[in-house]
Amino acid sequence: MPAFRRVLVANRGEIAVRIVRTLRELGITSIAVFSEPDRAAFHVLQADEAYLIGPGPARESYLDLERVIETAKRVGADAVHPGYGFFAENAAFARACEEARMVFIGPRPETLAALGDKLAARAIARRAGVPVIPGSPGPVESIAEVAALAHEIGWPLMLKAAAGGGGKGMRIVRSEAELESAWTLTRGEAQAAFGDDRVYVERAIERPRHVEAQILADGTGRVAFLGERECSVQRRHQKLLEETPSPAFDAETRAAFGEAACRIARAAGYLNAGTVEFILDEQKRFYFLEVNTRLQVEHPVTEMVTGLDLVAEQVRIAQGEPLSFGDQPPEPRGWSIEARILAEDPAAGFLPSIGRLSRLRFPHGPGVRTDGGIYRGCDIPVFYDSLLTKLVVHGTDREQARRRLLRALHEFVIEGVHTNLTFHRWLASHPAFVAGDLSTRFLEDHFRPEVLRPGTEVTEAAVLAAALHARAERVGVALPAEEAGPRRSAWRWSARPGEGEPR
Amino acid sequence: MKLWVTLEGRDAEVEVTAEDGRLFLEMDGRRIAADFHQLPDGEVYSLLVDGRSWEVRVAPDVGVLQVTVHGMTLPVAVRHPLEKALLGLERAPDARAGETVAAPMPGVVVAIRVTPGERVVAGQAVAVIEAMKMQNELTARHAGVVSEVLVAERTTVAAGQPLVRIVPEGA
Repeated sequence: MPAFRRVLVANRGEIAVRIVRTLRELGITSIAVFSEPDRAAFHVLQADEAYLIGPGPARESYLDLERVIETAKRVGADAVHPGYGFFAENAAFARACEEARMVFIGPRPETLAALGDKLAARAIARRAGVPVIPGSPGPVESIAEVAALAHEIGWPLMLKAAAGGGGKGMRIVRSEAELESAWTLTRGEAQAAFGDDRVYVERAIERPRHVEAQILADGTGRVAFLGERECSVQRRHQKLLEETPSPAFDAETRAAFGEAACRIARAAGYLNAGTVEFILDEQKRFYFLEVNTRLQVEHPVTEMVTGLDLVAEQVRIAQGEPLSFGDQPPEPRGWSIEARILAEDPAAGFLPSIGRLSRLRFPHGPGVRTDGGIYRGCDIPVFYDSLLTKLVVHGTDREQARRRLLRALHEFVIEGVHTNLTFHRWLASHPAFVAGDLSTRFLEDHFRPEVLRPGTEVTEAAVLAAALHARAERVGVALPAEEAGPRRSAWRWSARPGEGEPR
Repeated sequence: MKLWVTLEGRDAEVEVTAEDGRLFLEMDGRRIAADFHQLPDGEVYSLLVDGRSWEVRVAPDVGVLQVTVHGMTLPVAVRHPLEKALLGLERAPDARAGETVAAPMPGVVVAIRVTPGERVVAGQAVAVIEAMKMQNELTARHAGVVSEVLVAERTTVAAGQPLVRIVPEGA
């Protein structure tokens, strides 16, 4: 297969920028697509070409299969990189690419279909001799059926969307009292996110760790394990911080783990990059969870310790070339941590925040990488997810990486929207995090909104800055405040723009 | 010059003086050397407090200054002492006026869980809003009776748009 000349990136935000970067390094023309509110988005500015594919709602643009395929065909793309989310795990989209004689940079359509059905994926894992968590053999039809299953496998349970992934459409249910609300919300989210409201049941494991295996499989039958990533720090099953290696792993666990992941990949006839997700219980037994048939959000931590460019490997594999490193993956070096910087307010229930980035300054310096889809002055639209940028650090060991993360968080300035920068500072300083004592219940166990309240030094600095600002603004105002009366005083002018008063 | 500075309900009196071009602040009986230098970034300042370096943004907002330090934004009210005294004479707002559950961000109302006349307890979910692909339950802060449901399900709402009004029982 000849090398690609033109690759369309069927995505937006930081991952579209990430892919465009590698395409440029490889000398491949990058083609972006964008929705109307994304006209001035960073991925549009960075790509060689960019084409409009519809209005803001994802369903009418980034998820409009015909429009994306028609655009890719019309502009003469050789291949399509789906990123993550949107069409990344969509077999119909991969098939449509093939039918239009374009290469889908990812697994084969039949693999996407088989592994995208979480129940079929569990069957593949069982056949490969990899342990799975006890649960319903198929989708459950009613609340009564879930309640009956609970008698067999016990509370708490997980309700999961059969078509789910990326943490969407799943909920823990601790007792029968919570079941009705959880059933309705999970099915509603599943329908909204995937157009499929089937859900299934699994036993929930208390204080589990989430550890996943990065694999690459090429067309020559090679399957490589590129180490694990621990992604235990989550909120509502959305990962917030990831690291590699896992603080819970020793060499023996890692070897067994990598071997299990590769067995599943081989059993599924896997091609290209993928992630096999596992749950690790407190006895360090791992259970297969699902295969994410795509590049993961957190792939940069693996790149930091292996020195590989996973997007470049994906392109090689899609071009029919073997893995760049042959049979011997690079030995991982050091430790890497990624913090997902989100437009949301941890102090107010993690509500999403939208707006214009009035001020932005990225961290720099040794061992720091940011993968972002933002620039100063850009708008954060309401239609898409809240990931602004990923802050990735690399250190010789976990402690150096952790301190480096704190240092980079200190440098990072994002204003105009609420962000979770302060949350990450709290997290990276927490004794349990320092000790590597993680679980997916980390936030439930340790986080309260009050922990983000500013300390005395910060409040004092704010009080002094406000006083100095008010004093500075008053300079040049002729009327003393007392004569002007309380409602028209200079102090109020400084705090009320747009009233036509001198400032 | 003396200023009343209020942060999260706590007052402090701050006196700012200039001596030989240097600024001093007096607060809680302490005298603090300060240097306040505006950066080209507009509302952003470098603040040195007894040598300790802070980067702060001071943005005027309705009735307060929004001060951002270390990524945390704090609303600080600055008033002249006379104004402060006058404000104290104003009536406190009626605590038993009830509450309005509003959309905390733009999104789509996917469910309204209550009907007018329904009694709700504190913390009860009254509506579900979907934004940025996540569904969020909105809850009543206080117990009461639903007086009005202001939007229908599937409505797209703006941030701050009232959804449900709740009045105290017997009001």
